[in-house]
Amino acid sequence: MDFQAIHDHLRARGAPGLIAADEPRAPNKKEKDPGRSGHSFVTVEPGKWIEFLTLCRDDPRLGFELLIDVTATDPKADDPNLWVNAELLSVSHKHRLSIKTLVPKERPVIASATAVYRAAQWHERECAEMFGITFEGHPDPRNMLLPDDWVGHPMRKDYEFPKEYHGISCE
Amino acid sequence: MEREYLLHRLHEYLAPEWVPGWFLVLGATLIGVGLVIGLVTFVGLFSIWLERKVSGHIQCRYGPMYAGGWHGWAQTIADGVKLLLKEDLIPKTADKPLFVLAPAIVLGSVFGALAALPLSYDFYFGWLDLGLFMILAMSSTTTIGVVMAGWASGSKWSLYGAMREAAQVVAYEIPFGIALLVPLMTLGTFSLVEASAAQSGWFGMKWAIFQNPFCIPALVIFFTAALAETKRAPFDLPEAESELVAGFMTEYSGIRWSFFFLEEYAAMFLMSAVTAVFFLGGFETPITAASRAALGQSHLVTQLVCAVTLVTKAFFGVFVMMWVRWTLPRIRIDQVMTMGYKYLTPLSLLCVLGAGLWETIFR
Amino acid sequence: MTDTAHKGSIQLSEESRVLPSGEREFMMDVSTADLEVNMGPQHPATHGVMRVLIRTDGELVTGAQPHLGYLHRCAEKIGESVEWLQYLPYTDRYDYLSAMNNNLGYSLAVEALMSVEIPRRATMLRTICAELNRIASHLIAFGTYGLDIGAFTPFFYAFREREWIQSLFEKICGARLTYSYIRIGGVFNDAPPGWLKEIAHFCDVFEEKWKEYYTLLIENHIFVQRTANVGVVPREMAFDFGLTGPMLRGSGVDFDLRRDLPYMIYGEIWDAGAFRIPVARGEKGTLGDCWDRTWVRVVEMMESLGIVRWCLDAIEDGPVIGEIPKVIKVPAGEAYVGIENPRGELGHYVVSDGGKVATRCRVRGPSFTNLAVLEDLLPGTLLADSIAIIGSIDIVVGETDR
Repeated sequence: MDFQAIHDHLRARGAPGLIAADEPRAPNKKEKDPGRSGHSFVTVEPGKWIEFLTLCRDDPRLGFELLIDVTATDPKADDPNLWVNAELLSVSHKHRLSIKTLVPKERPVIASATAVYRAAQWHERECAEMFGITFEGHPDPRNMLLPDDWVGHPMRKDYEFPKEYHGISCE
Repeated sequence: MEREYLLHRLHEYLAPEWVPGWFLVLGATLIGVGLVIGLVTFVGLFSIWLERKVSGHIQCRYGPMYAGGWHGWAQTIADGVKLLLKEDLIPKTADKPLFVLAPAIVLGSVFGALAALPLSYDFYFGWLDLGLFMILAMSSTTTIGVVMAGWASGSKWSLYGAMREAAQVVAYEIPFGIALLVPLMTLGTFSLVEASAAQSGWFGMKWAIFQNPFCIPALVIFFTAALAETKRAPFDLPEAESELVAGFMTEYSGIRWSFFFLEEYAAMFLMSAVTAVFFLGGFETPITAASRAALGQSHLVTQLVCAVTLVTKAFFGVFVMMWVRWTLPRIRIDQVMTMGYKYLTPLSLLCVLGAGLWETIFR
Repeated sequence: MTDTAHKGSIQLSEESRVLPSGEREFMMDVSTADLEVNMGPQHPATHGVMRVLIRTDGELVTGAQPHLGYLHRCAEKIGESVEWLQYLPYTDRYDYLSAMNNNLGYSLAVEALMSVEIPRRATMLRTICAELNRIASHLIAFGTYGLDIGAFTPFFYAFREREWIQSLFEKICGARLTYSYIRIGGVFNDAPPGWLKEIAHFCDVFEEKWKEYYTLLIENHIFVQRTANVGVVPREMAFDFGLTGPMLRGSGVDFDLRRDLPYMIYGEIWDAGAFRIPVARGEKGTLGDCWDRTWVRVVEMMESLGIVRWCLDAIEDGPVIGEIPKVIKVPAGEAYVGIENPRGELGHYVVSDGGKVATRCRVRGPSFTNLAVLEDLLPGTLLADSIAIIGSIDIVVGETDR
């Protein structure tokens, strides 16, 4: 199914937390719209994250067996939200879906998708340490790539590099 | 009949009368020890060079080419000198006395086993009616050294190597010994010199494998068990390079490590020599028979021919061991045990049964 | 399956137990604790700097915990501070064994945001280079896997062919390992004269050698014994963990991005019947074991030859790079493009705000995702098997850590 069909099916099934579909559009000078390039994605409420993913996995026409990626983006230093993106892939129907949800920076908490897909476990660990997002219900919230005593969340736009680490200068 | 030590005899001819008897014995022993050490060193040096050349050519490359000029013949000597000059490292968590003792035990056992190997009909370091027994016993003692090395290194990875070695050697001692019963029945003697003598018919081709057809499967079983005893691939789990870095030898460096290395090649040579003596005719080939017919048994040339024959056959066995190592992957420890207990042991027992029947019916 | 609620540290065995009657039972005999061994970061078999904390009971592994991050070089953070084209050499360096495919993934992701026409000759050259790189990468996987199992010789033979591929790449772009050849808009250099002929010659020679490799290692009885029925990843587990590439096809799932979600001209090549997708059938043991995964990789090498040969026939003259400005300003937007890396799906998620520098450049590495099965696969196997399993996952630590 292409993106339109997937989105229509999601709406028909009453997918929990589905907000809207965001598709690329050409720039429109009349409406002062700079346009957006790239690929389409759906936006979802963070509170219904797990239910949405479960529907995507279990619905026979959607059939997204694989969770390809869970990642986060910090769009701007003064943006109040972080984006959490998930990529799903269906092997049986050969289609993809990109999902985005917005998580506020003052309270970056979202439910962990580990219960739905085991693949989320390591991806969420990396997200947590890089962006400071807490994934509730994650079975093993250790640092993934950073040392256990690292301070700060490096991928945030307002991250300040430390001056030194254990006596080693980081200049 | 009283057999005299060859060296002892030579010493008597060479030494003046006023030298006391015990001094001659001591001198003979020391010369014998020196000769064994020399043999081990030569065998080790040559085998290491051979291994590097054989592995190189199997892997489509040359191996050593520079050291010494012609195909890097002096490479091992250069490596040996380097190893002698290395720092003597003993890990902090190591059990120091055992750590130092282990390579000595391992190399000492192999020295003892090689001392029982005769080089020709008249050149042996001591007449042993049970020469084979001595060789088997001494070569099994190396296991003590290996396990000691693994334990005393104070490293968990070395411990794995030691545990695997103990299990593997115990498993393969059984088919090792049982498969040897077949040529023992055929040739009728434990002594290596007499075993060669028993294969001296048919113009030097009355080898044990031609005397009794059950010697052929016994040869295969014995050779496989020998590969396992000497920890050579495909049974090189105790020193599995890609798993345990170097297994029980991980913490050893410099001259201590070279002891283990020399022991490995000396043991390979020893096993091949035993195979050659008991299955493949020992000193006997048509050339030996011709030399004996023309010049007589005790002539120096015949003795030399015997020695060269045995060494050539032994090095051929060493070459086959190397060939197998660079071709086959490694077997896992539980598969090693399965093979030893479930396949090789019953097979070797069947060979013994068959050989016994053959001997009874046809001889 | 073991209890998957992993805590932060490995717990030791208990020394006293409570019986159903309520009494406490004490172990009066010799207490044997499990041995905690540290495999890595320096270890010949972990394919890079990776640390696996293994708890063993003798030779039996009872717990495993991988620790990553030894090769973390902040690629994603760097993506947010350098210009679009300047990021290309960084893409070479995560999965350094298949750098062409990394370049390709990144370029396709950025091109999805731009509207640039890629000339056909560029696409052909891209496909040839990506598939040759796939062969080279699988050769290393095959050779080093043999080395892990204990077969020293196939490694040298595999590297002999890989040297040839590397010299081919050196002729076209000047580098042997980290190419930066496939760029945004096309490729940066045209093929020198005689290059395509040499590739045709390579294909013929490699086809003969491939048969030797198959018989020498894959069909070797000892190799089969070491890898069959070891590290079985059933279909449901493969889906649950998000495995892709040879790990997925080794578990019997017939899915390949080149055929099912085609990018570049793979759809055209598939329709022309130039290649097939090898899917494991559990020939030598359970479906989804190490032998199946290795088999998939080895047969994929052969199929890549088919793609290369098709491209050699169909390639025509023309420009090799599209119309792109010297300083690239990518229009605002976001896109995710996933391609079939030799190890699985390599995904690039790029976000642009219209400037010269990316807002986000996320790299979804297949080795990272595939490695997650280790915690579940290793317990219950022997130590020698854990080496076999880690080798069959075919990780490159540059990609696990980025």
